[in-house]
Amino acid sequence: MTKKLAPILALLALALPGAGRAAPVKIGFINSITGPEAPIGENLTNGVELAVEDLKKKGIDVQVVRQDDTGKPQVAMGAMEQLATGDEVAAVVGPYTSATANAVAKLAQQYKVPQVVPAAAKEEITRQGYDWVFRLNAPAHVYAQSLIDAALAFGKPKSIAFIYESTDFGASVAAAGKDYAQKKGLTIAADEAYQKGAPDYRSTLTKIKAQSPDLVFMVSYVADAILLMRQSREVGLKPQAFLGGGAGFDTAQFESEKDISTHVLSVTQWTPEIGTAGSAEFAKRYQAKYGKKPTYHAACAYEATLIVGEVAAKAGGDRKKIREALAAGTWNGIMGDVRFESYEGFTNQNRLVMPVVQYQGGRSETVYPAKFAKKKPVYPFPGWK
Amino acid sequence: MNVFVQSVISGILVGGVYALIGIGLTIIFGVMRVINFAHGDLLMLGMYATWLVFTKLGIDPFVSIVITAPLLFLFGAFLQRVFINRVLNALPQNQILLTIGLGLVMSNSVMLAFTSDYRILTTSYSSSSFHVGGISVSQPLLYAFLITAAITAALYWFLMSTDTGQAIRATAQDRDAAQLMGINVRAMSVLAFGLGSALAATAGALISPTYYIFPQVGSTFTLKAFVIVVLGGMGSVVGATLGGLIIGVTESLAAVYIATGLKELVVFVLFLALLLFKPAGLLGKTRA
Repeated sequence: MTKKLAPILALLALALPGAGRAAPVKIGFINSITGPEAPIGENLTNGVELAVEDLKKKGIDVQVVRQDDTGKPQVAMGAMEQLATGDEVAAVVGPYTSATANAVAKLAQQYKVPQVVPAAAKEEITRQGYDWVFRLNAPAHVYAQSLIDAALAFGKPKSIAFIYESTDFGASVAAAGKDYAQKKGLTIAADEAYQKGAPDYRSTLTKIKAQSPDLVFMVSYVADAILLMRQSREVGLKPQAFLGGGAGFDTAQFESEKDISTHVLSVTQWTPEIGTAGSAEFAKRYQAKYGKKPTYHAACAYEATLIVGEVAAKAGGDRKKIREALAAGTWNGIMGDVRFESYEGFTNQNRLVMPVVQYQGGRSETVYPAKFAKKKPVYPFPGWK
Repeated sequence: MNVFVQSVISGILVGGVYALIGIGLTIIFGVMRVINFAHGDLLMLGMYATWLVFTKLGIDPFVSIVITAPLLFLFGAFLQRVFINRVLNALPQNQILLTIGLGLVMSNSVMLAFTSDYRILTTSYSSSSFHVGGISVSQPLLYAFLITAAITAALYWFLMSTDTGQAIRATAQDRDAAQLMGINVRAMSVLAFGLGSALAATAGALISPTYYIFPQVGSTFTLKAFVIVVLGGMGSVVGATLGGLIIGVTESLAAVYIATGLKELVVFVLFLALLLFKPAGLLGKTRA
């Protein structure tokens, strides 16, 4: 047997000389491909796809290993372990939600795999001193501050009611909001956390309506956002403004429900009209390829993948070198200037300014801050038709 | 005062739909003594059927009940003939395992077919309401309640006044005696399961304009259905109706006066308290 084996092996070694050639750099991508956040996850997937195309044009060959976390932290953790130890990726982009991203961050630090979070809001993700975790998007307190600052710039509200979903995302944005509202002298008229998947908010909204708050601050994912607004309309809730904290309030689905989305203010990480380098072309390309407008999730995922892809290729797939390059580098793309800094208790956090949009006539228009604003805001809320 | 009346009204409207789910479950239990853990999944199938009919054929969810209810009736009858009938004399644990298994197959098949993305039905009246004296009454919920009331009344008439209905009640009272009296108890079992499924599907169709649709939605409702059925007394249709309304109103009031996040807790505490004083439920009879 051995007499035959050796020549066969030698033949194989000659026939496959390319086995020694460098393989494309492997990047892990954890996302909510199915599950309740799938509509948003789709945007991230598309953003990553466009980034891979662009990287190829620059001669960088990136192999994206996708993992579906179905929106659940336990599944995301399993996916991360698979990517870190089984697929041995150079770096990870994602996941999407705050709960999953936070769970994965711990593993990224443990397995020493660089992780770039594209769109998760929870403050703690980059407040734990994890030097292997980087976040591209602005954290929760910026969501809250931008919205409240906008409302204060448009009018003179005195009270604010909070209704939010009770997982990491909703709780952190609402907590930041309550904090900031108090600092700005607003009274908190109501503070209602609801369970995801308990879609009857009528009694809660009636309770809030009875307090007649000037502002209603909502933090929800897709399905809840639509139902909350539908039921607000049913109940006849009429504050000076509805403030939607990103995520569910920032999707094409929500935009298309004109009956309920008109005049709602939402905060976002990026808009197609924002005017940063390449934004308009990105939006046009996305629209042409996928038939719909890109959300900020797509832009964040795109930029994150571009950055990680370039850095990983230059570092030859070495995780430590990638981490160092991410910590030291600066980039300028559709998300504007990107730099992962450590400040005020945050580690490796990019300082992003979040524009505030308002849905007018079925389209989202940027209304704040002044340097990004394209249209004048409609304030106060004129009422339901 | 306004807030109180508003919550009670919302609670009654939602409670009506809960009652429909409970009635379906209680009929199945009454006739076959089978605890149907797949009841919520039958509701889920009803929701998906409604969604399919709405998106592919453009038929309004309330109107499409005439299509989805008979469809799910046949499906329920099929389940009974092929699966449930074989375990009618088995240990209750085995019956439960069977229905749980059926439920799992149903929810996972739907997940394979449609993925677990949340679906939302948008009709022209999805967010409309009637305003009566400062109280706003949700349009879709009101229609759902009226249809539920009509169905419950029709069901009650069927069970009380028709031969088949009385045969079902006889089978529920005492299976062996009914068989001795010449009632085809096997046919009654098939009928009961079909009816229970049709009611669950109808409940699903009724709440689809105001809820989101996804494969795992069944489990929340199975749990609610059980609480309602036990609260009202197992086997009692009137009890299930009452139970549904009570749960609906309790949830609604708890959300307003205690906290939204604790409303389920209040329902269960109430349920436990009631069972301590009346173990057979409100209208249940202690069985021999």
